[in-house]
Amino acid sequence: MSWHADPALMETYSLGVLDEAHASSIEAHLLRCEPCRTSIARHVGRARLDGLWEAIDERVEPVRTGFVERLLARSGVPDHVARVLAATPSLRLSWFAAVAVALAFATGAARGGRFGLLLFLLVAPLIPLAGVAVAYGPGVDPTYEVGLAAPMRSYRLLMIRALAVLTASTALIGMAATALPHLDWTAAAWLLPALGLSTANLALSSYWSPPRVTVSVVAAWATAVVLSERLSSTPFAAFRAVPQLVFGVIAAASLLVLMRRREAFDARRRI
Amino acid sequence: MSRTPAQPGADARDDQALLLAVTDGDREALRALYERHAPWLLFRLARRCADPNLVEETVQDTFVAVWRKPAAYRGRGEVAAWIWGIAIRRLVDRLRWGARRRISLARVGRSQPVLSAEEQVLLGVEHGDLAGALNRLSPELRAVLQATVLDGLTTREAARLLGIPQGTVKTRLMRAREQLRETLA
Repeated sequence: MSWHADPALMETYSLGVLDEAHASSIEAHLLRCEPCRTSIARHVGRARLDGLWEAIDERVEPVRTGFVERLLARSGVPDHVARVLAATPSLRLSWFAAVAVALAFATGAARGGRFGLLLFLLVAPLIPLAGVAVAYGPGVDPTYEVGLAAPMRSYRLLMIRALAVLTASTALIGMAATALPHLDWTAAAWLLPALGLSTANLALSSYWSPPRVTVSVVAAWATAVVLSERLSSTPFAAFRAVPQLVFGVIAAASLLVLMRRREAFDARRRI
Repeated sequence: MSRTPAQPGADARDDQALLLAVTDGDREALRALYERHAPWLLFRLARRCADPNLVEETVQDTFVAVWRKPAAYRGRGEVAAWIWGIAIRRLVDRLRWGARRRISLARVGRSQPVLSAEEQVLLGVEHGDLAGALNRLSPELRAVLQATVLDGLTTREAARLLGIPQGTVKTRLMRAREQLRETLA
């Protein structure tokens, strides 16, 4: 470019007092002229530029992402949902490792006979239950306080996580079940109880304090299984057709309660 | 203050090469682009928005956008013009969310490397007193002319920027053109 903006004109422009026609021609020129862009940069303080850059630098900082988050993001889950899921205590690798160990013992026991299998069926539904129980709430969730201040509703957050935990733990148990001695109906008998217990646990948590509810549900489940096995003449009485139906109904009812009680979860946002 | 090689963001690469490097996540390249383009952006935005905080936030938004979507640059034309296109739209976005319009009226600038029909009419008048004609327009008409013809915004975006209805933008634009035609005839 043969012509460059006059330094005095440039200074008047930088002060914002140049008339419109001249300002517009300077602006047009700046778009095409690197030396003039450099020369006008003199009129901006170094401190201002550095401060502004720091703000930008912070916003473009690459965030460290973990294994689970990368996996989720790669399978098409939106970034913010992936982050929320990855911060779930029961979606960490350490949690999965613990679940795997528990399942290994349970399937091992199941190979030891009828009571072993009963133990497996007793424990399996408790895995998703525990997973959902620690998926959200003060004390267990590292992002709990962040979540309180987040524009996402607690209810939605809880549902997203509960669904993810249920899916993940069901898949794990399903894999473990293939190692059971008999691949008959007992290999899938844990599924509806798992669903019923987890959703019931969530639904009841909208009324009473979550830890108390979880302990009560676990105790009630264990008692029911053990008692039914001792009192009834048929083996696995707690997992036959009628109880399965009951768990199906419990799951459906709990989902209804969850939908109607969504405000109860959001109301907990009071710190 | 003059540029020295030790200055942050000093880089021998040209804008297009820097933008390509940004695509690969090169933060130094973003810094270099920032050092080159932030100053004039600050001034140009300041002529369109009276709130310095809003201007700085817009510059931030602009470079964050460059960082996230460097591939949006099609590889043609001045990188500076592309950056300006982002900046003016970010400003419009910011203003839309702001409580009241903080626009300073009557800033005329020219940005689009591709000439619109109106622009050709304006630029075609080589011997007329274009500067005088522009300066004699009322501030309202000039602001509309600047936002649409020269800054390259749509009438809808211009309406947001100026805080007036879209229909008003169109009528003012027509009146501005008529007045210019009369003055330059």
